[in-house]
Amino acid sequence: MPSASDVIFTARLIRTANPARPIAQAIAVREGKVLAVGTLEECKEWGIENIDTRFADKVLTAGFVEAHAHSMSGMYNTIPYVGWFGRHMPDGNWVDGIRSTDDLIARIRTIADITPAGQSIIVAGFDPIYMNSDRLDRFHLDQATLEHPVFVFHASAHLATVNSCLLDKYDITAISQAPGVGRQQDGSPNGELREPAAMALARDEFRFIGRTVTSPETFTHFGAAMRNAGITTVADLGNLFYVSEESRASLVNMTSEPHFPIRVVSTSRITGGIKEAQDTVPKILASRQHEHDKLFFPIVKLVLDGSIQGFTAVLQWPGYFTGEDHGLFLTAPEQVVDILRPFHEAKIGIHCHCNGDATSEVFINAIESLLSEHSWLDHRHTITHAQLITSAQMRRARNLGMVANFFVNHMFFWGDQHRNTTVGPDRAQHLNPCGTADRIGLNYSIHTDAPVTPPGHLHTMWAAVNRTTPTGVVLGESERISIDRAFHAATIDAAYQLHLDHLVGSLEVGKYADMTVLDDDPYEVDSQTICDISVWGTVLGGIPQPRPTPTS
Amino acid sequence: MTSTPTSSIPVHVIGGYLGSGKTTLLNALLSASQEPIAVIVNDFGEVNIDAALISAQHDDVIELTNGCICCAVGTSLADVLFTILDREQLPSLIVIEASGVADPAGVVSYSHMAGLHNAGTVVLIDTVAAMTTMKDKYVGKVFARQIVSADLLALTKCDISSSESQNHIRTVLTTLAPSTPVVLCSPGVLSDFLQVSTPIVEPNNHQLTFISQHLDKVDFIDDQDIRTTLENLPSSVVRAKGIVDIKNGERRLVQMVGRHLAITSTPLAATGIITIAVES
Repeated sequence: MPSASDVIFTARLIRTANPARPIAQAIAVREGKVLAVGTLEECKEWGIENIDTRFADKVLTAGFVEAHAHSMSGMYNTIPYVGWFGRHMPDGNWVDGIRSTDDLIARIRTIADITPAGQSIIVAGFDPIYMNSDRLDRFHLDQATLEHPVFVFHASAHLATVNSCLLDKYDITAISQAPGVGRQQDGSPNGELREPAAMALARDEFRFIGRTVTSPETFTHFGAAMRNAGITTVADLGNLFYVSEESRASLVNMTSEPHFPIRVVSTSRITGGIKEAQDTVPKILASRQHEHDKLFFPIVKLVLDGSIQGFTAVLQWPGYFTGEDHGLFLTAPEQVVDILRPFHEAKIGIHCHCNGDATSEVFINAIESLLSEHSWLDHRHTITHAQLITSAQMRRARNLGMVANFFVNHMFFWGDQHRNTTVGPDRAQHLNPCGTADRIGLNYSIHTDAPVTPPGHLHTMWAAVNRTTPTGVVLGESERISIDRAFHAATIDAAYQLHLDHLVGSLEVGKYADMTVLDDDPYEVDSQTICDISVWGTVLGGIPQPRPTPTS
Repeated sequence: MTSTPTSSIPVHVIGGYLGSGKTTLLNALLSASQEPIAVIVNDFGEVNIDAALISAQHDDVIELTNGCICCAVGTSLADVLFTILDREQLPSLIVIEASGVADPAGVVSYSHMAGLHNAGTVVLIDTVAAMTTMKDKYVGKVFARQIVSADLLALTKCDISSSESQNHIRTVLTTLAPSTPVVLCSPGVLSDFLQVSTPIVEPNNHQLTFISQHLDKVDFIDDQDIRTTLENLPSSVVRAKGIVDIKNGERRLVQMVGRHLAITSTPLAATGIITIAVES
């Protein structure tokens, strides 16, 4: 029905992610949906007088879709952010990156100045990979304060560094035998707590982080942080909202809030064994009764292994290049089919975390079995991360109707480590093999796994197009893809694997009018600078969602 | 170790590949325990606790009429342990089930949290399937790592496996973990074996006899004396447990599983030390 709220947005350029009409100048919106995409004249033929020209100098694209991130990314509004990359906080304020241990010490000192003595100081997102400074230890942190226990949670989530005051608080000394407690030559703790078991020694601080990452405030901030990065639909891949009616109700309420700026695919992580998997299916189906235009429950997540940089991914021959193989299946290979069966039969899409090629193999085998048992032609089961997937595995996955979601940001964030340490000179070229996937015909998306890497698709597109490491090495020239291919991977192909491509992922008539608003055109800028384009915000269902103006 | 032991809850980790009998053991522990223990499992469904025994269930904790609790690990083992430590009624023992494909050593790391101590890891080996699992291209390596991480290896399903296969497995275990004791054992017997206060383990298997006896020595000078005494027991002793006084008036909970020895302070009454040896 025509109404006063019908609107036409004009822009410098609109990129639709619809190859049938890739470029447009105007978009008409009715009831939150795309009414027409084309020239201003074409749009006006619908009889709409209301023309919004605020984006006249902006580039609008089909809204970015992130198919693998985590709501804990919203924690930085509660826990001060000390990462390498500066970033906009959910409230729009800019926080500078921490580029050295001195920066970190200074930041903690400013917090200590306004914190009562004895009260813990917890900061998160610390990312020392690119720093030339000495490895962070308790003596650095002691320079910031001797009066407060300090807990620095690293971006990797596998490590925390604490100060002497904290070690004293928990009586962590030379004689404590806990593994994961980093030590100096003389055996005394150096302040490093590796892996959750050791971090849990700092009971109050670790619990605070645990409570924060699952709090409703964090979820709300997650929505804002994603919007600030230009994302319009995000999969919160592997949460626990399904556990109780209460937590699901809270999720439904938060996302229904008119100002909540993003569509969420809420995804349970399968834990436990076969019986628990069976019990989870009815919970997801019940959740689907509560879906609305900003909340969906199309898929489920299973995790099969760890990470390559942590040496916990499961690799086929010849294994790791250097370092000790700690490869561990998180689910027994022989149980994978039984665990996944109830989801497959209930038509719940499966996103399976496989970093190593051994786990990709196990997952593909399982899907092959399930498809022979029970036909679901349009399943779109997704190998997520799929970093080490082989060509042969990709051909099988293609034949089976599966898709991939590559963690292409790794080419930058851990590219040099992969080249020199984890998988060596050959396989490092073919990690996240977008180019080969295209040649084989395996559809895929790209993701950030935020907060593991910073949210936003400009960086993933940049990484997929350039595959440059921090030291300037190009890893896998033949796996590089065009900006056009990367843009589709970040939009419509991500929507496809979330079973939402009929609603989002491209600007086509009848779909939600979701757009990312950029200062520049990723197709036209120097490809090295795609990641530097500034994000104005988004348009969600025809409503502009600007990144908030900083208050300070 | 020279620290003053503090009062804390002993933690046993139970490892072993799928089908090795972990669930049977945990069920036996929960239903027959004579002390309030907490069992942490991967999946409530698998444990299948007798409904008549359940007195309450909320979130991830099932409370039993005998004072025991069973908790599901969900996504964070640390959180489950925090929840248990927050309870008014602390358990006398925590038993954590490592997943069938986990290296129990990773789970043991959590027993260093304040209020807990590592009382030893038992890894169950399914004597019917072990030789196949060992050669599996996906999990063969993990299976080997489980063996290396054990303080005590328990062979299960010996009533239905051939002695040839058992001998073969023993050879492999000796190669991978030469100093780790191996017992032939049903999960039911292991349940008594693990509890702190169950003094005598009844043999139920014709292939093996456990010999339980009180240690003659009841007066100890200090922790080092306890340590020396237990370390000098014959190698046939695979388990020791009990509560003893030391000279300065303090009291010690002593837990030995295989070669792993934990000595901690305790408020409980002295019982003397029981040793359990295998007769092979």
